Formats: sequence, structure tokens, C-alpha cells
Amino acid sequence: MTEFPPLPPLPPRSRGSIALLEESCTSCMLCARECPDWCITIDSHTEGVPTGTAATATTGARLRTRNVLDRFAIDYSLCMYCGICVDVCPFDALFWSPELVRAGFDIRDLDYQRDRLGALLPGVPPPPAVDPGAEEPKELAAARRRLQEG
Amino acid sequence: MSGTSAGSVELGERLAGLVEGTVKRSYGDVTVDVPAARWVEAVTAARDELGLTFFDWLSAVDELAGGFSVVCHLADPVGPAHLLVRTRVPAAEPALATVTGVFRGASWHERETFEMFGIDFVGHPALLPLLLPAGFEGRPLRKDFVLAARAAKAWPGGKEPGEADGDAAPSRRRTQPPGVPDPAVWGPR
Amino acid sequence: MASVDLPVPFPRTVDVGTRYALSVHSLGLACCAVELVAATLGGGEPPPGAGDPVAVLVVAGTVTDAMAGAVRRLYDQLPEPRYVVSFGACSNSGGPYWDSYCVTKGVDQLIPVDVYVPGCPPRPEALIDGLRQLAAKIEAGRVDA
Repeated sequence: MTEFPPLPPLPPRSRGSIALLEESCTSCMLCARECPDWCITIDSHTEGVPTGTAATATTGARLRTRNVLDRFAIDYSLCMYCGICVDVCPFDALFWSPELVRAGFDIRDLDYQRDRLGALLPGVPPPPAVDPGAEEPKELAAARRRLQEG
Repeated sequence: MSGTSAGSVELGERLAGLVEGTVKRSYGDVTVDVPAARWVEAVTAARDELGLTFFDWLSAVDELAGGFSVVCHLADPVGPAHLLVRTRVPAAEPALATVTGVFRGASWHERETFEMFGIDFVGHPALLPLLLPAGFEGRPLRKDFVLAARAAKAWPGGKEPGEADGDAAPSRRRTQPPGVPDPAVWGPR
Repeated sequence: MASVDLPVPFPRTVDVGTRYALSVHSLGLACCAVELVAATLGGGEPPPGAGDPVAVLVVAGTVTDAMAGAVRRLYDQLPEPRYVVSFGACSNSGGPYWDSYCVTKGVDQLIPVDVYVPGCPPRPEALIDGLRQLAAKIEAGRVDA
């Protein structure tokens, strides 16, 4: 593929493309519902999670289920880069990346499935630094507590 | 142009007094509701006696059972002052007198309002379609106009979490996205 | 007020060797036209093209049903060999106006498209990238002229 023309230095919040962190996605469908263009397609199925204790086997407690993502596609020919999906995701599975979606010869090349959406993750910039004087992020406090405990 | 200036409120009250209208203030705008029979008189008075010589915009709002509100934005560029003059026409056979005799520039606004809402402007020199392609059927900006593309395309957000295409139990009613009528009522057969 | 860094001029040339001379016809229909102008303005006079003339139509903006006839007629009047670049979400697929009562859902409903440039609007550099990809495709002879 031809080399992209040089871009000026872009701020980290630049909207180039949207990357998907598959491990965080629970197929809650919120991004697909809120997308104004209807360009996000999600297929998933439920799987039972074996709890692995004898207690549940004998009591017949209801099997825990979880959603498994089969297909996650963003149609970049329709996408208007509004970012509503990134904002609404409750599990922070979608991220903005300054990396642009390349042009394609076939419109179906612009329909990114989850493999290509995941491949955009390395381009996602780190989150901006917290303001000085702001409260410490909860993950840091939780990690420190875990270290102290064990 | 700010409508919150005291000048706009005073102008609104004067206009309402002239044509038996009512004044309303909301979100910084001054609205004067006038009877439909005195529409041209109100716009003429606003231009000649109140100094609102700049015609900005004319359009309509579909009030469903209440008919259509026809709104006209008038402004005094020097003042500055701004008024929203509004009237109500019935839903069945909506018609209103034209203001092209007062402001020539209202001609295209009334053409657009006619083709989008179906409001007849009596006395308009040439009430032809302005924006829609030839052969277009229907009045698109009415609230009961269904957007066919949304009804025809399967809403990706209609699936439940944990559901894949073609999996849904046929008896289960799918949620419809906003603006799409129930498939039993309207849609592809 | 803080000083602003002006954008670095980027190369606006599309090198197609000496075999073809691309003449780019810009059809700016809506907001994407602004990015089209940004991509081409200030680039200076292009050198006189040597080689076989090739027409490239760049459709930038929403194709309304009222404009559809004009777009089709414009394409029909272009001399062959001719190629089409769809610039922006609206001309790719209808974009944010896909559900409108008066929008053609993609210019490929009217004319054959060779390159689709995604974006809303795409950066001017993305147009140059799209044209370069098209030039490479022409050179490779993978397109029916």
C-alpha cells in the first residue's frame, strides 16, 4: 500500500478511528443502540460459566451465564466519527485513536471486523495525565491495597 | 441578535396590543402569538410601526393534533431587536395568507414550508416546490411521515445482549428504534 | 493569546510517472468540499502533464436525490478513461444522512466508484492518499480502463 502523506503533529485526542478492546466488551449492545448511523453490528451468544464447586452442583443453583462476543463490526463507510459509542460504553472497551482509516477500493474493505478493530489498539494514546490536585484514580488505590494485603 | 433586550419585550407587547395577540418569553426569545386572521396585519405592523425591517425566516412546526404553528422571525438590525411572530393553522386543510406582499424574501420560505408541511399560502405568486426532487410524494417534515430507510433496515441495536442474527424467538417482540412504527402497522410486507 | 503552529504544508503531488496525466474534477457538494479545497489550495500550478490524459472525478459531499441526475450526467460526459473517488461518508454510503427522505445512499448507486475515502470529513491528506492509491491501481493495470 502506498505511504500516507505526512501528517502535522496531532493532539492525542484526535479522532481518527475507533479501536476495540475485546476483553472488556460484554456485548451489552449500548454502543449499537446509541449509534446514530446504525453502523455498529454485534453478534453474541451466551455461555454457561461453570462455577466449579460441589455446592452448586448439588443445590442446582442457576447456572451463571456470560455473553461471548462473536462479531463486532464498525462500518467506517457509514461512521460519522461522533464518538457516542466511545462515550456510552460502560466498560471502556472502545477507544479513540489518531490513526486514520485508510481508503479502500471496495466499500466492504471499510467494514472493520473485530480483528482489525483490535489491531488499531496500539495506536491508542495513553490517557491524559490527571490534573494536579485531583483525586487519585481508583485503580491505583485499589492496586496499592492489593499489594499491601498480599 | 439577542431577544432578551428590554426593547424586544416592549416591541412584543406593542405588537400583541395591536393585533390582539399574546406575548411569551422563553429561552431568551420573545414570541408573539397572533390570530391567523390577522397574520398579514401583524407582520406589516412589525415592519412599519415597530421597525423590524429584516425578515429572517419563516417556517412551520407540526403540532400534531393542534395543527401547525407557522413561525416568522423578524429583526431590527439597528436596534438590535428580534421577535418571533407565530400563528396556528388547523391540521385539516392548513392555509394561511402569504406575507410576500410585505417581504418579497418570504417567497422561497413559503415555498419550502408548503412542500415540507403542505400549508397553502393564499395569494403566493408561484407556490412551486423548491428543494424536493420532481415526483416526490408526501410532506416530509410532518411528524407522521415515516422515514422508509429506518423502517426497512434491520436495527443493529434491536438485538438483545447474547443474541445473534436469526436467533431471536419469533414470538418475542423486538424493540423498535426511535421514529420507526411497529412493523405490524407500517412496513415491508 | 497563545501562538498557533500553522499546519505543515504536505506534499500535494500524486506521482503517476510519465505514462498518465491525471486531471482531477472536484465535485464539491457539501462540507467535504471544504476539505477538498484544503487539499488542493496553495499547491501552486501543477506541471504540465505528460502522457495519456486520465479523468478523475472526486465526489465530495452528500448526493441528494435532486442532484442525482446532474451527477450521473457529469460522469457520462467525462471522457474515458475515467475514474471516480468517493470522498467522505455521505458519498460512500449516505453517511449520517442515510435515513433521510431525499439522500442517495452513496454515489455508487449512480456511478461506479474506484476508491472510497472514509471520514466525516476525511482529512485533506486522506484525499491525497486516496488519489495515490488510485494512481497505483491505474499503474498496476488492475482497473478496466
